[in-house]
Amino acid sequence: MPATPGVAVFGVPRTPVSGYEVVRMNESIDTLRQEFEQDFAAISDMETWKSVRDRYLARDSGVITTALKKLRDIPKEDRPAFGQAMNRLRTFVEERLQEKFAAVRDADLASKLQKTDVTRPGFPISLGAVHPIKQLQKEIEQIFVSMGFQVFDLPEIEKDYYNFEALNMPRNHPARDAQDTFYFDQTNLLRTHCSAVQVHSMEAMKPPIRAISTGKVYRRDPFDATHSPMFYQVDVIVVEEGITMGDLKGMLDAFLKRLFGPGTLMRLRPGFFPFVEPGAEVDISCIFCSGRGCAKCKQSGWIEILGAGMVHPKVLRMSNIDDSRYSGFAWGMGIDRVAILKYGVDDIRLFFDNDLRFLRQF
Amino acid sequence: MKISIEWLRDYVDINESPEKLKEDLSMAGLLVEGLTEIHGNAVLEVEVTSNRPDCLSQIGVAREVAALYRRPLRLPPVQEQLWISQERVPYDVEINDPDLCPRYVAVVIDGITVGPSPQWMQRRLEAAGMRPLNNVVDITNYVLIEMGHPLHAFDFDVLRRGKIVVARALQGDVMRTLDGVDRTLDGEMLMINDGEGPVAIAGVMGGLHSEISTSTSRVLIESAYFQPASIRRTSKKLGLSTEASYRFERGADWDNTIRAAARACRLIEELAGGRIAGSIKDVYPGRKDPVRILLHRRNVSALLGVEVAAEFIESTLQRLDFRLEKKGEDAWQVTCPTYRADMELEADLIEEVARFYGYQNIPVTLPPSKTPGVHSPVYVIENRVRDILAGQGYSEAVNLSFASDADHTEFTPLEGERVAVSNPLTEDTRFMRTTVTPGLLRSARRNFNYGQRRVWLFEIGKVYAAGPDAIPVEHTTLGVLGTGSVAERNWISPAESYTYFHLKGTLSALFQGLRIDSFGFEPTDRVAWLNPADATLITIGEEAVGVCGSLAPAIEEKYKLKQPVYVAEIDFERISHHAFPPVQYRSLPKYPAVERDISIVVSRELPYKKICEGIRGLGISELLELELVDVYEGDKIPPGKVSLSLRLKFLDRERTLTVDRVQGFIDTVTSYLINNHNAGLRSI
Repeated sequence: MPATPGVAVFGVPRTPVSGYEVVRMNESIDTLRQEFEQDFAAISDMETWKSVRDRYLARDSGVITTALKKLRDIPKEDRPAFGQAMNRLRTFVEERLQEKFAAVRDADLASKLQKTDVTRPGFPISLGAVHPIKQLQKEIEQIFVSMGFQVFDLPEIEKDYYNFEALNMPRNHPARDAQDTFYFDQTNLLRTHCSAVQVHSMEAMKPPIRAISTGKVYRRDPFDATHSPMFYQVDVIVVEEGITMGDLKGMLDAFLKRLFGPGTLMRLRPGFFPFVEPGAEVDISCIFCSGRGCAKCKQSGWIEILGAGMVHPKVLRMSNIDDSRYSGFAWGMGIDRVAILKYGVDDIRLFFDNDLRFLRQF
Repeated sequence: MKISIEWLRDYVDINESPEKLKEDLSMAGLLVEGLTEIHGNAVLEVEVTSNRPDCLSQIGVAREVAALYRRPLRLPPVQEQLWISQERVPYDVEINDPDLCPRYVAVVIDGITVGPSPQWMQRRLEAAGMRPLNNVVDITNYVLIEMGHPLHAFDFDVLRRGKIVVARALQGDVMRTLDGVDRTLDGEMLMINDGEGPVAIAGVMGGLHSEISTSTSRVLIESAYFQPASIRRTSKKLGLSTEASYRFERGADWDNTIRAAARACRLIEELAGGRIAGSIKDVYPGRKDPVRILLHRRNVSALLGVEVAAEFIESTLQRLDFRLEKKGEDAWQVTCPTYRADMELEADLIEEVARFYGYQNIPVTLPPSKTPGVHSPVYVIENRVRDILAGQGYSEAVNLSFASDADHTEFTPLEGERVAVSNPLTEDTRFMRTTVTPGLLRSARRNFNYGQRRVWLFEIGKVYAAGPDAIPVEHTTLGVLGTGSVAERNWISPAESYTYFHLKGTLSALFQGLRIDSFGFEPTDRVAWLNPADATLITIGEEAVGVCGSLAPAIEEKYKLKQPVYVAEIDFERISHHAFPPVQYRSLPKYPAVERDISIVVSRELPYKKICEGIRGLGISELLELELVDVYEGDKIPPGKVSLSLRLKFLDRERTLTVDRVQGFIDTVTSYLINNHNAGLRSI
């Protein structure tokens, strides 16, 4: 019986009742005894046994205990007789309950020992799934923070200057072809990469700079199995004194091993991105065949994963960094691409369908 | 770019297998994407980056191969005699806009018999992906592929004044190009005119009228250098990209104009029976000098992180046609080849050294960290929200940021005008979304269609609006959607439907998880897309931070949802400002709290919040918690009334609460309810 105050138990309200009222209500101790007998007869298990015990004998609110405590509230001449009778009743109640205890305890034990079919399913607590790209995004941010980077939260709607010009891609530069862009007007566009973190971080901080930014980027590609007008990128920049291409390789190696596993091999090939010089395309050993050659890596053993390079002197100068004193490196990587590789997803649209059957796999 | 290995062998010896060549070129920076076979010959699919237009030709690639394998390069023979004593055909070249055309070379050839080109040339053009047409056009294309310099052949007899005038177009002029399309020109486009009108769009495409035909007997060969940005602008504007414009906009070799013209002359003489009819005209008002760069060995070593020997630097650059002049100990004045449009700074030269040194030979070093790692504060809150909601069973959705017109008119945001993309992919993605709700609804419906009726989703993402001065602005929003059952079907408890109060519970837990305690929920009629029955404004303090409720019936129907769907949309940035206030620990109470329940019957119109505020306003400082534990409406109480069971929890931090004091609190509360809200008491 739940100890719910205010709810009547066995026909008598439970909450504070003065001893005097008990006597008045029951008129005689016999009535109380009869009531106890009724309650006693209804005892079926340990729970009901305890509630009957508490109802009559509980130290602060038991019917009999309370009545005894309040003896002084009744006329002096009635006190001894009432007290004795009440005490007798208490002994009686205690004995009766004691007699019953063994049986109730045995029954209780038996019921506790009754076999539970532990092979039945547990209560279905459904956990939600964190989006696979967001999981990777978080993982990547954590890797970089552990290597001393500051994470920048940058706008998706960017100025042409930050997305292109300050990255050595002036208007009418053919390199813009590779990044077909959504424009709002002459100046404002949807960023095509997160590389603006290079410019924003150099404007916001003095070297030494280690910064990354992650998030949605947009290119004017039709939505199909291998293209999406919206996807995720992470861009990285380091500007310090004496940064070398060897440092770029070292940082890349550390990052790629954290992300893809300690056995990951890496190779750099010369590549072109207007905001770096020298530039590099970075491949990792194929994660499907460990570099032996398979259909996924076109038998080459390598998979192209990101673009990198030493920050272009013009980019440094445009952001008022003295390129005779400081050097740096930068790289950019598609997070969706990592997800596609790591999880073997064959259609990029699945990332934006929000099908629970898909999301729950990660 | 398709590069035939058989053709390459004209210029450089190649003993390596095609596979080896592919690998070696790729590692030296000329990415070979594929290897195919055309007419039995191996063809490399080379992806030439936009900085290396010099590699958009057989000779350009041959130069790389020669440098890579340290072998000599053999250049094709060109016509020696371009100046003749007996001028048979007078013609003239004028450049009116030298800023867009620094150099224009022309030569006229007569006595031509137009016919098919020889088999070997046709096969080579086909290997390069071009369609053979006739000997004259094929020769210009052949030289284009061979040397990378675009040429154009005009039918000289069609040029009305026998001359070439290079000038910007007249605004609004129309010219029909070789592909039969009428092109409307603007005043910034550079044109080739014949003194009467336009005959070609400079560097992009010739006019149909001056096309070479079988009746052509005299041709004018154009070999020019056009300003790259101008060609790119014209090509973009007209939506017309050609082999010529592709090269000019990346940068042709201004110093190769005469050689390319001469090469074409020689081939025309050999294969089409022509003879030079007038001396070559070389109009060169925008004289350009080769780029000179000072290179220091110490800068090479410093940038690459490895000591590179002077001898290596010299030999590498010399093999690539750079001329080096020693400037003191370990420095050089480097003169770059005119075809290297990418050379500008010392770093460009260092890359040349690096790619032949081999990126793989640069040692791996890890720079010590000089900066502390710092998370973005926004991401920290985002991740917390993500964990709270995923922990409650909501899965994270990501929808595209675009919206249709209907999305905006049906889900009008409380603030801000929408913004449109000026070049959208489709009509349905013309606008930037102002709300995440339509995307979540579509996601829910997609799941319904797969048979999943219990759909709990959330999305954290940007929404967009027109800011001050119509500049688009963005801010982060949080959408939550719940529908279906509270738990998956099970054998332990009966099925229970997700309701408004489950959504509200979720949001309350979210606020708690962010340590925001001043949140509230108020009925609202400002949100047309929510059901007026439960449309709610979510507040923190006095500030509105979001809305929630079930969907307006019309929208529910339009989206064919077939079951009640509850959504919330919350301004993420506003809640971020309130998140994680500093914590001040309060010592734990030494005395137990006491709970009492009371049940009251009040009017259904009386908001629960009023009762709470009233009770809390009674000044009972020992009142720790007030909870609604049961609600009953039905036969046992009068119509229009509702029975509420309240659980009150009292605590005195200094001493044990006596039964009498607690009873006193309860009496205060009940008399307040009776007197102020006409409450009836049940089973006290």
